[in-house]
Formats: sequence, structure tokens, C-alpha cells
Amino acid sequence: MPEEPAYSSAEEPQLVEWAKAGDMQAFEELVSRHRDRAYVRAYSIMRNESLAVDLSQNAWVKAWQRLEQFHGEASFPTWLSRIVTNLCLDELRRQKRARTDSIEAMEESTGPVENRMEMETLDPIEGLGREELRERIDAALAKLSDKHRTVIVLYEFEQLEYREIAEKMGTSIGTVMSRLFYARKRLASLLKETLKRDGLIE
Amino acid sequence: MNENEIQLKVQALVDGELTGQEAKEWRSRLETDARLKELHAWLTGVRGLMTGAELPRTLPESGDFHWSQISEAIRHEERETKRLARPASGANRLLRWVVPLAGVACLVLLLTLQQTTKPDLGISLGSDHELELSIDDLDVMTFNTGDDTMSVVWLDYSLDLQQDEIDLWLD
Repeated sequence: MPEEPAYSSAEEPQLVEWAKAGDMQAFEELVSRHRDRAYVRAYSIMRNESLAVDLSQNAWVKAWQRLEQFHGEASFPTWLSRIVTNLCLDELRRQKRARTDSIEAMEESTGPVENRMEMETLDPIEGLGREELRERIDAALAKLSDKHRTVIVLYEFEQLEYREIAEKMGTSIGTVMSRLFYARKRLASLLKETLKRDGLIE
Repeated sequence: MNENEIQLKVQALVDGELTGQEAKEWRSRLETDARLKELHAWLTGVRGLMTGAELPRTLPESGDFHWSQISEAIRHEERETKRLARPASGANRLLRWVVPLAGVACLVLLLTLQQTTKPDLGISLGSDHELELSIDDLDVMTFNTGDDTMSVVWLDYSLDLQQDEIDLWLD
């Protein structure tokens, strides 16, 4: 009787090859290694726990179906993350949540809002631990609109170029640049508010 | 170039989206423009803050449950794909032909019956007399006895015929 492969100790490219050949156990091992990462990316965009679970789950199903298209140009988790991101963007489009909000309405009537916002400096935060800072950045991200948060996630976390973000979001590079600039300003402003409230900065 | 466009150019420089000559030009502008330099420093700081800032999270359901959901969805999708790709069975293939053919046959039969059931109302009254009756005013009733030994056909026609014509006909 042939010996069962040692999935838990196998290298990732090997697991991918086995999974491509139809080995569900190898795929299960890949899920086990990267399920949190897929969930985190979906949560970062959607900011909804159950939606993030569903979308990351769907991403795994799609990954299984498209394994033949994975040729190792990027790492497996990066490839998977792209699938998660695409599903999240589809979901956002489906929900039509990218609605015109009050800031955009203001922008249309009086010119770009970026020009009227102060660039908040965040220098004296050395005393704050990295973990605490991450929690505060996360809270600030949650307060951004879907499209501003999405552009930040795609640029900073997914590490896509402007052109790729524009393609994924179905918009122009100029709009991506503008949204990214505004999102950064707003994020810095929200972060400063939080840090002030917590007495961490003056 | 307005203020907003300048800001976006500096941002593109910080993000590494400007290349070659354009990047060089903007770098030299930063050297001479304190305001641009400040903007560049601010954007670099914000980028620094965001590096590795994605908060780690754990899937809020057990790994086994998560996998069971995924594997079930994969199996379901595969069943659906197979079902859609499966060629039609022999009976299904036959039905694809039989149903339209049967429809055409029924139509032809119906048309044929309509043609053949039109009563011939030419009633011969001998070599010199012929009475033409119109179908519109004709009522026909048929009665069969239970054992089929006798059939009665009842014709009811309300046309006003000349008495001499009826006499001729009855003769």
C-alpha cells in the first residue's frame, strides 16, 4: 500500500502540485496554512465578519477550481489574496455600496476636498507600541468609506500599483491617486483624533 | 499645474510610481521647494505608518468547520459542472426529435380532418335537379344504438325551400 504523503511537513509548491493533481488533502493543508490570511484580507476590505468568512470561503472554492491557472509567478498566498480581493470588489459592486457620500457631494460643489484638509502630523507617537498603533490604524480604517478604505488596502496591504488598482476598481489612475491621497489625509486625521483622545499626544 | 495635481505628483513620487526623467525632475523640485519637501516628508511618514499595519485576525470559526464548508462547496460545484456537461441520455435525445415531430403530425392530422369532415351538401335530385345547400345553416346530429346495429343521422336545415323543389327531392 503506498504511503500517504506527509502533508503537514510538505513544502508549499509540492502541496500545490498535489492539489493540482486532485489531492483534496493537500488542498486542505493549504487552507489550514492560509485561511487566516484570506480572512484578514476579506475583513480589511469588507469590515463585516460573516461576509469576510463567506467571501474567504468562496475564494478557496475558486482557488481549487483555478489551480491549473496558478503557475507560481507569485507565491500561493499572494495569488489567493488576489482572488479574495476580486471577490470583495465584486461584492462591493453588487451591494452598490460605493455610493456618493457627503464628502463627494461637497467635492463636486466646491472643488477637491483634499485641499481643505489639514495634513495631520503624527510625529510624537514613538512611545506607542506597534500593536497598539496597529489597533488604532485599524479603527481609523474602519471609519473610511468603502472606496477610500479599499484603495488603501489594495495599495498598502495588497501592494498593487496604481494601474492595477484602477483596473480592479474600474476607474482611472487619476481617480485612484486622488482617492489614495484623500484616504491618507483622512486616516492621519482620524488617527490623530484617537491618539489625542487617549492622551497619547498633545 | 494646480495645487491638487502637484500633491498627487509628489504622492506618486513617494509611491514609486514616477519613473525616469519625470521622477528626476520632481526630486530636483523638492530640493528647492520647502513646501513640496514638507509634503514629501508627510507622505513618507504616512506610508511608514501603514507598513505592516494590517491587524492580524483569526478566522472566527473552527478550522475543521471552515474546511467542511469549503469541501462541501467544492463537491457541490463539481456535481453541478458534471451535470451540465453530461450528454443527454438516449431517451432524452429521442424526445428531442419525437416531441416536435409529434407536434407537426398532430397539426397535419387536424388540418386533414378538417378537410375531410366538411360535408358534401350537393344533393342529387335526379339528372335535371340539383339542390345546393349552404353549410352555415345545417345542423347534423348522429345517434347510434348501443349495439351499433342502427345509426340515425338527423339533418336540420332551416332554409326556405320552394314546395315544388321539396316535392321533387322527396320523389
